[in-house]
This record gives sequence, structure tokens and C-alpha cells, in this order.
Amino acid sequence: MRTWAILLGGLLVWTVHFFGLYAVAEIAPSRIATVLLTLACLAADGWLLALALRLGRADAFAAWRRSVALGGVALSLVAVCWQALPPWFSG
Amino acid sequence: MRSETGFDPALLDRFPTQDERPEGEEEQLKRIWCAPRGWEYLTVVNNNYVGIYYLGTAFLFFLLAGMLGLLMRVQLAAPLMDVLPQATYNQVFTMHGTVMMFLFAVPMVEAAGVLLLPQMLAARDLPFPRLSAYAFWAYAVGGLAFFGSLFIGLAPDGGWFMYPPLTSKAYSPGINTDFWLLGIGFIEISAIAGAIEIIVGVLRHRAPGMSLDKMPIFAWAMLVFAVMIVIAFPSVILATLLLEIERAFNWPFFDATRGGDPVLWQHLFWFFGHPEVYIIFLPAAGMMSMIIPTVARAELVGYRLIVLAMVATGFISFGVWAHHMFATGLPPMTAGFFSAASMAVSLPAGIQVFSWIATFAVGKPRFNTPGLFAMGSVVIFVTGGLTGVMVALVPFDWQAHDTYFIVAHLHYVLIGGMVFPLFAAMYYWIPMVSRRALSERWGKWVFGLMFGGMNVAFMPMHLSGLMGMPRRVYTYLPGSGWDMLNLISTLGAFMLAAGVLLFLVDMARNFRLAPDDGEAGNVFGAGTLEWLPTALYSTRSIPVVKSREPLWDDPKISDDVEQGRYFLPRSATGRRETIVTSPLLAEPQYLQIMPGPSVWPFAAALFTAGFFLALTVQAYLFAAVSGVLGVLAVLRWLADTDLPVPEKDVDIGAGIRVPTYATGPQTHGWWAMIILVIVMGMIFAMALFGLAFLWGNQPSFWTPPPPMTCALPIATGYLAIIAAAWGTRVLHRVGKSWAVLPVLVAAALAPVLLWVDIGDWMAVTTPQSGGQGAAVFGLFSLQGTVAGIGVLMAAYLCWRKLRGVIVDRASNTLDLACLFVAYTGAQGLVGTLFARAIGA
Repeated sequence: MRTWAILLGGLLVWTVHFFGLYAVAEIAPSRIATVLLTLACLAADGWLLALALRLGRADAFAAWRRSVALGGVALSLVAVCWQALPPWFSG
Repeated sequence: MRSETGFDPALLDRFPTQDERPEGEEEQLKRIWCAPRGWEYLTVVNNNYVGIYYLGTAFLFFLLAGMLGLLMRVQLAAPLMDVLPQATYNQVFTMHGTVMMFLFAVPMVEAAGVLLLPQMLAARDLPFPRLSAYAFWAYAVGGLAFFGSLFIGLAPDGGWFMYPPLTSKAYSPGINTDFWLLGIGFIEISAIAGAIEIIVGVLRHRAPGMSLDKMPIFAWAMLVFAVMIVIAFPSVILATLLLEIERAFNWPFFDATRGGDPVLWQHLFWFFGHPEVYIIFLPAAGMMSMIIPTVARAELVGYRLIVLAMVATGFISFGVWAHHMFATGLPPMTAGFFSAASMAVSLPAGIQVFSWIATFAVGKPRFNTPGLFAMGSVVIFVTGGLTGVMVALVPFDWQAHDTYFIVAHLHYVLIGGMVFPLFAAMYYWIPMVSRRALSERWGKWVFGLMFGGMNVAFMPMHLSGLMGMPRRVYTYLPGSGWDMLNLISTLGAFMLAAGVLLFLVDMARNFRLAPDDGEAGNVFGAGTLEWLPTALYSTRSIPVVKSREPLWDDPKISDDVEQGRYFLPRSATGRRETIVTSPLLAEPQYLQIMPGPSVWPFAAALFTAGFFLALTVQAYLFAAVSGVLGVLAVLRWLADTDLPVPEKDVDIGAGIRVPTYATGPQTHGWWAMIILVIVMGMIFAMALFGLAFLWGNQPSFWTPPPPMTCALPIATGYLAIIAAAWGTRVLHRVGKSWAVLPVLVAAALAPVLLWVDIGDWMAVTTPQSGGQGAAVFGLFSLQGTVAGIGVLMAAYLCWRKLRGVIVDRASNTLDLACLFVAYTGAQGLVGTLFARAIGA
């Protein structure tokens, strides 16, 4: 499970962020709530990034795991920031 | 990386072995995995046969649905044409979309997985061959019966997404809609069975040494594809179930005048429907990522990025479903989030496209037929992707919604993203199963006609859509400015069809199935394991994998495999078997004994199809009989399985010994049951969402639920079920011969608790009284189904105990029955508390 968590961590953060935003928009629309959720998810991404950078690269599999984890977190950082924009442009 | 299982990786250095293999080993393998004869073709379970059956049937549906498309194009070639009456046209466009999406696209890629994966992973077969056979026969029988409804005028006519209220009893009183609801619901069960097979196969049946970073990209694609099916398809299964119940029993889930909501259907349908596009695209993208390196004669550029992109696509595709619903009046913030996610999903798709382009750029590409189809696919898919970003913008979508612009967009995405890669794949992999490759000369004509025809047919639709031509109209008036564009589209459709026809002629000329031996072989010089010499038992021995393209990196590997110098060069137990390896590093764990041919999966599929068809035509007695016979057939098929063999452990090559039987969380059976539980859990979670959705959107119809305190005894009972199921496993392991009794009692308790819960709710509401009642009793229906299956499993466990086949202190049947009964308790517990909490 640890390896799967490492590989999928960034994308899981994106998932929590997206469905959290959807819940906010449907239940109680609030820009502040979306900002708080986004900051929490960015912090989670930052933590995952720090963890991924510390992962070993001793063999081919470990190096592959580290790079996929880093890529996932990088993608998540972009996607979370992007996903947080709509409240500032919609009515 | 440390060993995952305690296996010493240095043991793999013993291969390839140098000793001569004893005589008779290969003959033994041939005998055990022998070819079927006569009626045995109905009982065959090998992936070599089931995969071909599957592919052939799915391609047949492609041709049938394509013909329906041509009929539509003839009708629309000029204004006021009278080829198809309006009502028939409605049936034709509904069947075209439905058959393409449900009976061609998903089964086709699943079939490709069944055929290719064991070869690519160098396994003898996928882990549940009988489940594969069942999934195929269920799909084939159900699909053909479903398609047959067109010939008796009973085909569904509400569009491939079947929106209520158009499809409610009031506006669609015939059984046309029921054909869709029961037929598709049934066929999706087959897709889920296939997905379970693929997930467990990819994660547990890889050749030793094939760690995740060395896995073929197609296997990654199939893994993500199958996980997406497990998450997405329960939603459409639930939706079809609810609409059928509404139509049959007047439970108003989707009737806005009685506390239901038709938009709930759209949410449930599109939570499946949009991921479905990526479910179709990802395996095709996986094929492209296998074909392009061979065609370009270069390693795939960005393997890691492509894996990441595929997984990311899987995730993000679940955040885009509501972009199909922008026109329903979503709250602005919600629409914004879905618009952003819809644009974001182009990022991982773009990564793959750029990787393919880069691979072409760094290699020395050959412009052979697979290469042409791969390049054509990139062009068409990117065009469709660009219009996809356009319709992800809410204001543009409002203008283009339900016009031919959308028809053009979706055909570019699906033909570029799936059909062209599929043709590339057929030209590429046919030499693996046929004595002759297809003709290169003809193939280039096929490509030219299809590429040209596709663009001539669908490019003008962008314009006709922007000029206001709506979808699904059976004709139009002259002078609207659409005449010429429609005529061009029709000509293009026939050009496309001519390409497909030429392909069929080429197939008739050259395709000669060689499942046993004598195939054309690796004519394109590929580097992955499916190109090893194979017979019905797959490869003679199972190689140790040290790179992603073993055939490129080790020129001797084919000979060594053929000489039996790797794992399992013989049958260690005299039965069908394969090696189960660990999920991350593919270290050998145990030997799986595989079931052989059986008529029971075929019979079970036949009776299951009979059950659903009889329900559709309201022949309830016949449905009941078919249902019972279907269950008996499944039990009979299972009776042959999970039987330990006399040898406790065996030598699988070079003196490495593994057990022949394993239980608990590391076994393939446990994994399959966990996936099944996830499927059931997803269906239930979507039903909970439905209840909450109706409460949020129709609060004026809500009545206070029974008090939470009344639920406490029921909740305690469900907790006891979970404890009893778990306790049974523990008791059995310590050797108590009566250990099956607690789980039997627990399984019997679940329906009783449900009955008590229903009694509480009947005092408050009824299923027909409104959306709340329908949704709550919908939850009860699901719980009743799960409880019924739990009782059946517990009874089956007891029967096996009485038969004396559960004697060891470890038993997979017992483990899996306990797992399911525990899930029954957990689902009941959540359901009873959630229903009372909503609107309390």
C-alpha cells in the first residue's frame, strides 16, 4: 500500500480538492471556503513533494517510483491551482 | 528496493538454465491445454479462443452499428428524404450510439486485453478463465438479443443516454426503453466481470521480474481502464435499475412532480458516461504506445510520463461528468469547476500525444499500415481534443449544445482516439494469431479511404452545427443552408465504409486463425513478450523479465523460452497452472491451479440472458426459472474450483519451490472479492448520493424519517454480522469444525434486520409516495440483493463443508464468503443510519 500511496498521492490530493470544491459549490457556495480548501490541498501537495524528494533512487524501480510520485505531485500542484480559479471569474 | 515477499532476487540469476529438459514436457503441456473439438468450442475458456470470440463479436457489432450510421446518413443526404420514417430513425440513432458505445467500444478493448495480456505478461492465462468465458457469452447472447429488438420494431428510441422524462412510462409506454435498461444493465455486468479479470491478471500474473516499471504500457492502460470500469460502471447500473423500477413499479425517482428529479439521472448517467470516453481511449492509447516504438524503431519517449498521464487521466476524468449538463442550469460556481476540470484533462492527454510525436521524431519511422493508422489517429484525435476544449467553455457549450458540432466533436474523439488505433492494432497484432499478415498494399488503401472518408464525413458537421442544425432530427427543410454540407457528410460516410469493406475483404483473403501454432510471427520486429513463440499454453516457459523490451535486449530469449529454460517448463501438478507473482516487483509467490473447459459458464450466461430478456418482455415465470437455473449453473461451475491438490509445494524451475495453495489477502481470489465489494460499494454509494441529491433539490416533498434511536438495535445487529463473519475466519483457522455456523447465522440475520428496518419506514412513507420513499426503498432493494447473495454464499459454504472439501485450516471459499457477509453487514449499517440522517 505504501508504494501505491506514493505513486498516487498527488492525484488523490487533486481528487479531494475537486470533490471538496464541488461540495462547497453545491451546499454552501463561498469563495473563502474554496480558498481554505485550496490552501490545505497545496500544503498537502507540498508535504508530499518533500516526502517524494527524500525517496531513494537506489535501483531502477525505486528511481521510477520516485519520478512518477514527483510527476504526480507536480501535476496536482498545477491542477489544484487551476481548479481554484473559477470562483473568481463566475458570478 | 527490498524484496516485497522475502523472495531472494538472486534466485532469478539461475535463469536461463543450461541443462537439457527431459523429453515429453512439451507434449504434456499440449495435452493439458489441448484445442477444443466440435461442441467443445462452447466450453472453451483459454484466452486464445475467448479473446478471438470476443474480438469477432465486438467487430460484428461495429459493422452493424456502422450500417445504422450509413442509413442515417442516407436519410440526411438531402432535405425531406423519406428513407426512414421518423419513429424508425429514432430507433436507428439510439441503437447506433448504444451499440457503438456499449457493444463495440468497451467490449472490443476488453477483448484485446483478454487476448493480448496473458501473452504480454507471459502468463498461461488470465486468473479466472471461466469468468472470462461467462463475460463473453453473457455479452454475446445479451448483445445479439438486444440488437434483434430492432428487427421487431421494439428497439429503444430515447437516445443513447435515455434521459427521463422522455423515457418515463408516461412518454415511452412501450417496452422499447425496457430493452435498453435491462439489456445494457446486463451487459455492463459482463464488462465488470472482465474488469475484475484484467485488474487481478495485470497485478498478479506478470512474469517474474516484470516490476511495475517494466510493465508494457498496454498493461498499464488496461489496468487504469479496468479500475475506471469498477468505479464508473456501477453508476449506470444503478441508474438503469432505478429507471426500470420507476417504470415497472411506479417509484418516482426521476419524476419532478412527485419529489424525484430527472437531473439525478443525468448525474448518474454522466458519472459513468464521461469516464466512459477515457475508458475507451486509454486502452487504445496503450496500443498506440506499443505500436509506435516498433514502427519508429525507437524506445518509447517518456514511458514514466505516459504512465503518469494515464493514471492522471483516470483520476481527472471523474471530475468532468457535469460538462454534459451545462445546459441544465448548474450553479455558476459548479459549472466553473467542471469547466476547469474539463480543460485540465487535456494536459495528460497532451503528454501522451507529445510522447508519440517525440518517438516518431527520434526514431526512423516506417510508413507501414499500422504506422499510418497511428499517425492518422494522432491527427484526428488532436482535432477532436481541440474542439473538446472549445465545448469545455460554458458559454460556447450553451451555443453548440445538442447541435451537429457536438456530433463532429465526439466522432473525432472516438474515431481518432479508438477506431484508428484499433485498426492500427489489428494490422499490427494479426500476425500474432494468424498464419498470414494482412496485405500492406491493401492496408494503405484501407487507411486512405478511412482517413479521407472520416474527415469528409465529420469535418462539415462542425459547420452544419455552428449553422444551427440540431442533433437527432430525422430530416430538415430545404434552404436552411445545410443541404450541401449534409450531402458531403454522406459521401464521406460511404468513403469511410468503403475502407472498412476493403479491410473485410483483406481479412477474408489473409486472416487464417492459428491459435495453436504456425502464426506469421513478429513481422514488425517488436520487442515485447507477446511476440515470443506461443501455443495454447502460451509460452513454453515463463521468462525472467529484465527490461521493457526483452526481445530487443536479449536476442536469445525466444530460443531459451522455447527450450524450456525459464519458469514452469512443464506442468508441475499435471493440471493447468500459472505462477502468481507479487503486485509491485513480480516475485513468484505461489502456483495457481487453473480451471479447465466447462459448459457451465456458457449455461450460466445463457440463463442470465434469459432472465433479463424475460423480464423485458414481462414473462415473469420464465424469468424466475431462468434466474434459478442461472444461479445453479454458477454454483456448479464453482464446485470444480478451489480444490487443493496433493502436492503442497512444487518446483517451478531451477529448484525454486512455491506452494500450490494460498489463502488470505495475498491471493488472487481475495483480490477479486475486494474488487467486487468495491463495485457493490460504488453502487450503494451512488444510491446514497441519489437520496441526498433528492433531499437537496426537492426538500418540500420530504417527511421526517423514523428516529435515529429506533435504528440502534438494527445497527447493533449489523455490527454483530461483521463480527461473526470475521470470527468465523478466526475459528476456522484454529481448527473448529463448526466454524461455518456463525457466518451462516450472520447471513440469515441480515434479511431479518432489513425487514425490521422496512417496517419502521413503512410507518412514515411508501416507495410510491414520492422521491424520498423511492430512494429509501431503493436502498433497501440494494441491501436485500446483497443480503440474498450473502445467504446464498453462506449456504454454498455449508454445502462444501458437508461435501468434505473444506478440511484444511485455510480455505479460500470460506475466506471469501466471510468477506462478503461482512460487507453485507457494513452496507446495512451505513444504509440504515444514512437514510435516517438525511432530512432528520
